Amino acid sequence: MLQVENTLFTLVMLLYFAAMALYFAFIAVKKDGVARVAVGLQAAGLLLHTAALVCRGVGAGRLPLTNQYEFATSFAWGLCLVSLAFVIRFRFPVLGAFASPVTFLIIGYAAMQSKEVKNLMPALRSNWLGFHVSTAIIAYGAFGVSFVLGVIFLLRDRMRARGFMDQHIPGREKLDVIAYRSVSLGLLFLTFTIITGAIWAERAWGSYWSWDPKETWSLVTWIIYSAYLHLRIRRGWQGRAAAIFAVIGFVCVVFTYIGVNTLLPGVHSYA
Amino acid sequence: MRGGVASPHRFKRIYKFIGSMRFAIILLVALALACSIGSLVTQGQTYDWYAQRYSERAAALIVALRLDDAFHSAWFIIITAFLCLNLTLCNLTRLPRLIGRTRAEGRPEGALESAGDVSREGVADPKAAFTRLRMPGPVACKTADGREALFASKHRAGLWGAWVCHLGILLLILGFGLGQMTQAQYTVYGVPGDEKPIGDTGYTLKIEDFAVERRDDDSVAQYTAQISVSGDDARRDAEISVNNPARLFGMKFYQNSVGWATRVNVLENGKPLQSAVICAGEFLPVEDKPELVVYLNAFYPDYAMVPGVGPSSASEKLNNPAWLYSVYYQGQLLGMNALMAGEELTIDAYTVTFTDPQNYTLIQIKRDRFTWLALAGGLITMLGLLLAFYIQPAKIWAIREPDGRWTLRGACKKGGAIFKEQFDRACGLGNEE
Repeated sequence: MLQVENTLFTLVMLLYFAAMALYFAFIAVKKDGVARVAVGLQAAGLLLHTAALVCRGVGAGRLPLTNQYEFATSFAWGLCLVSLAFVIRFRFPVLGAFASPVTFLIIGYAAMQSKEVKNLMPALRSNWLGFHVSTAIIAYGAFGVSFVLGVIFLLRDRMRARGFMDQHIPGREKLDVIAYRSVSLGLLFLTFTIITGAIWAERAWGSYWSWDPKETWSLVTWIIYSAYLHLRIRRGWQGRAAAIFAVIGFVCVVFTYIGVNTLLPGVHSYA
Repeated sequence: MRGGVASPHRFKRIYKFIGSMRFAIILLVALALACSIGSLVTQGQTYDWYAQRYSERAAALIVALRLDDAFHSAWFIIITAFLCLNLTLCNLTRLPRLIGRTRAEGRPEGALESAGDVSREGVADPKAAFTRLRMPGPVACKTADGREALFASKHRAGLWGAWVCHLGILLLILGFGLGQMTQAQYTVYGVPGDEKPIGDTGYTLKIEDFAVERRDDDSVAQYTAQISVSGDDARRDAEISVNNPARLFGMKFYQNSVGWATRVNVLENGKPLQSAVICAGEFLPVEDKPELVVYLNAFYPDYAMVPGVGPSSASEKLNNPAWLYSVYYQGQLLGMNALMAGEELTIDAYTVTFTDPQNYTLIQIKRDRFTWLALAGGLITMLGLLLAFYIQPAKIWAIREPDGRWTLRGACKKGGAIFKEQFDRACGLGNEE
């Protein structure tokens, strides 16, 4: 099963790369048909990615959510899923062009990690693992999309109105609403992640909150996005300022995921 | 009057500011910074540790600002207290308005006279637009000037999202704070058969059995302890393992960690004098010479001397057991060495041997009466976010113009540009004349 997963993982990387290349081509040749193929390739990549994760889970005999490789590949899966949903829902292929390099970077990071399947330590043998980590994947994916939308928003300000881009990038107001939707999805799931994590920590370690670096940085991320939501309501802070906050928020997400694991070891050091 | 008593107007301004969104944003940013600092500066170390790690000046700053215990420092508690105050005042101020708005949103009176966020004139079949926008059956009413009108509103609960979320956060902080102030925590460790008091609770805990479940590759699958707790003329038994604590007598018992214990045998002139089980890190004073103390520094089940690392264990299997010990006399260190299986330590007339290495279990006992409050706060916060993000209050109304056609209007503050698109689509589909 793990061999199959390995093959599928390579195919997924190729498909994501191809989708990214086609999204770029869509912007270069300005043909909607190219975008449709890119969306199709991304969807195919997502399907194979799902199959790869299932194979990993079956091969390992547990949920594939417990080490750097497994979380990185799941993070890429979450970002691909949420970005694809937003591309289709809002008919916004340019979002795919900006999100696909981020997805590719994350899956590239996953490829650099050890794929060795290790047995779970007793603390990780819990049904809460599935709830806690899978909600984090969706949250991170949604925040990845809000980051991309923030970048598009900031770049849009710099771009002169050109027919093609103007047609394919929504207006400032709609872009702001789409970004709000992605942040709200991310914040809802991050809240779920923190609460399920707290319930699990209470069962495993006897303390639902112990200011572990991972917990603390999840809280910092939560606070940054809460500030984003409050700023967005204030007059004069919509749009550009909110977009900058969405970008800062994702920097916190990446730090929570990679920075904390490498620089600030704590009880989540296995993640 | 300068320097005099503050005017009520000034108090009102301060009160308004403390409950304002601007202050909330300042507090959120301050809290994010405080948490970041608390996680970046290693917590709970001494001045000397910080001086060695950073510099004398940095260490002085860290200790002076209590950055070494950031999450319990006065400044952190003040920020959190202000956040609670801000949330409370915000919710109190908004409550009457929110109740009024919730009522008003369900009534056509105010809406019919307003311009709405979106509008479309010349609509032939307004009911079809109501259906497409998934608005519940519109009610017939009349405008102030007597024109025929239709009105529908939905999802008024969504107005309460932020309010419920704030309430949840308040309860969460309150539950956490009360828990921190009142909780009691104890640890008991030992090997099967040990019975020890649980702090000052009056209860005793007996470790009936302890097992380490291992897989084929020697990795640990689970630690399981059978315990019994006695007190108040009652006894309760339970099995605890990692992720499966037990609740007994209002306390929660956790299988926390594990270590090595061993039997220490002391002979005096070849005759048995004393035999006791001690854990790594414990002392054993010799019975008839208490100033002579044996200290078990560590136990290595599969001893190996690794260059650059020192003594360590190659595995957790008892392949090559070794005991690292120290001997003290009248508080002075006499010596420190490692004994292999079967080896003896001789001090004057005394002979010491280590036998029967076994795992001991460390059990954590906790009593926190406010965990439920924090949990309730978390769940209410979730509910609030769901209401705020996914229940979008909307209202649509149609007014019949003198020419028989209808003007359709709507309002959905949270929907923004996307609601406008949905509205336009719903009105545009074969509705125009």
